[in-house]
Amino acid sequence: MIEIDQELCTGCRRCNEVCPVDAIEGLQGAPQQINHDKCVNCGQCVQICSVYASAFDEDISPREEKIQERGLLTTVKEPLFAAYYQGQARGAQQMLSDSNVYTMVQCAPAVRMAIGEEFGMLLGSLTPGKLAAALRKLGFDRIYDTNFAADLAIMEEGSELIERVTTNGVLPMFTSCCPAWVKFVEQQYPELIPHLSSCKSPQQMAGAMFKTYGAKVDGVAATKVCSVAVMPCTCKQFEAKRSEMADSGQRDVDLVLTTRELAYLIKAAGIDFTTLREEGFDKPMGTYTGAGNIFGATGGVMEAAVRTGYELITKEAIPDVNLECIRGGEGVRRTSVTVGDLELKLVVVAGLKHVIPLLEAVKAGKADFHFMEVMTCPLGCISGGGQPKILWPGQREHAVTSRKESIYEHDRNLKVRKSHENPEIKKIYKNFLGEPLGHESHHLLHTTYQARR
Amino acid sequence: MSIKLNSFVVADPHKCIGCKVCEVVCAVEHLDRECKTVGTIDAPLLPKLFLVKTPKVTMPIQCRHCEDAPCANVCPVAAISEVDNKILVDEKICVGCKTCMMACPFGAMDLVPRYQDGQVIMQEVLTTETEDGVVQKEAMVANKCDLCVGRVEGPACIQACPAQALELIAPHKEKRKRNVAAALNLMDSVKKFMS
Repeated sequence: MIEIDQELCTGCRRCNEVCPVDAIEGLQGAPQQINHDKCVNCGQCVQICSVYASAFDEDISPREEKIQERGLLTTVKEPLFAAYYQGQARGAQQMLSDSNVYTMVQCAPAVRMAIGEEFGMLLGSLTPGKLAAALRKLGFDRIYDTNFAADLAIMEEGSELIERVTTNGVLPMFTSCCPAWVKFVEQQYPELIPHLSSCKSPQQMAGAMFKTYGAKVDGVAATKVCSVAVMPCTCKQFEAKRSEMADSGQRDVDLVLTTRELAYLIKAAGIDFTTLREEGFDKPMGTYTGAGNIFGATGGVMEAAVRTGYELITKEAIPDVNLECIRGGEGVRRTSVTVGDLELKLVVVAGLKHVIPLLEAVKAGKADFHFMEVMTCPLGCISGGGQPKILWPGQREHAVTSRKESIYEHDRNLKVRKSHENPEIKKIYKNFLGEPLGHESHHLLHTTYQARR
Repeated sequence: MSIKLNSFVVADPHKCIGCKVCEVVCAVEHLDRECKTVGTIDAPLLPKLFLVKTPKVTMPIQCRHCEDAPCANVCPVAAISEVDNKILVDEKICVGCKTCMMACPFGAMDLVPRYQDGQVIMQEVLTTETEDGVVQKEAMVANKCDLCVGRVEGPACIQACPAQALELIAPHKEKRKRNVAAALNLMDSVKKFMS
């Protein structure tokens, strides 16, 4: 799904510098190829590539052909670069014009602090209300949120961690919400698959819930529901297409759009994003907490899990909901949190290449921690491969730190900041799922993995 | 009157990796508005320096700001002039005759359409026949390096190059630097000869 245009690539190999898995092959100065067995679809190459198709180069195939080849909307005017992601915006446009389908959309946390950039707003502008309004204007029938599913993931993953710790289960446990990281484990460290949480990612949990609970709430047939995910990520499409991801009886997620692709759709529909009046996400699955929202930054899953895990185990309120000790930057952050009698040792990894020494330690039986969060992209999803591509190399860092500030600002300003206090989460367990790790949860919200070697 | 030679930007072909970052930021800095992400660009990128990539050499080429600028000398409408030690094109005067393109020994001059708010700017009178019938013809103007005139940080290409391959050459300073280097070399060889 990530490709390099052989006509355009000059072989500068800057993509190779950011590729965490050495999947880009070729000689300096010659067009590069992607080794798809190694590639984890993180899209960091797409973000860094600066070799564009010149409008005046007569030796390359015409722009219209490239637009076709890349699955871009014909209305896209932006320059085309050598490293690209093959998206699904066309499918989404078609689906939105089909009156026979009932569309449900979800947006990952990191989309709302970046999409405004594509309309000339300041880097890192926080625009959840405009995002919801734009999706409604595009014609989606239900505007739901991955943040809700992130809260759900915390209920399941937190319970799974507690279960593993208390029953001598496989430890350390690894997070499983980053599909690039999961693919990496499957292909490079298949023997460590039992360490991965069995929880699906929030995207896939949301998808499974849309076509079951969501269809039931709205009284529509699951077969009529088309579920769309808007993600900062170029690997989420791969995840949605995994054979395991059809527990609702259908494809749980039918189409995945990146933040950039959603901006294309909004522009194509003639919507002026910057002047949109703020609207809310729909109930029940658009209700979210600060904990669900911080999934978009490195350390966010861990922090959200601790906020809930602490209270579930001790039955007491956590002394400070802001767990600054977990909020790291690129690289490895080690910390520990005392929960009742247990000192929970935590590791947060941002940037996939930093995880290898830790995995080697786990393999050698020398891991001294309980729980590890891994995000493939440098600062988590806010720096994902599907996020707006920054033109000036020097501004990339500013963009990502601004998005990070926005993510925590949003968390601070939300009334409910712990996943287990989300009223709609309580309701969904009461009315539909039963209890975390229960029979229905196990069927819809958990998954299995496959060794790829 | 002090004699000051025009500065110019030149690339080191041994450092250049051919990434075109210089072209991208050059085009972005010369847009009619501030753009920070690729998605905000709605017109072709029109850089004022041009990456050359052949089996033998990879480097961008841009205007040398010649002292006796052939482009300015041949311009029939005097659209090119020297202002504050820079050879600059006045797009409003340029008629797109391409004589400057022919005259420039470096190929540093290009002729491009102009865009405003994503729309190409059309000429007022001249039309052209196309498949869609007779339409107005776009205005084409001479386009070349202006050393990012007015930009506080200096030329964008130099600032952005990830390989530090670009340099602003101040000719007299460069000459003095080389004079000093030559003198030091000479001193060394004289020493060797003496010992």
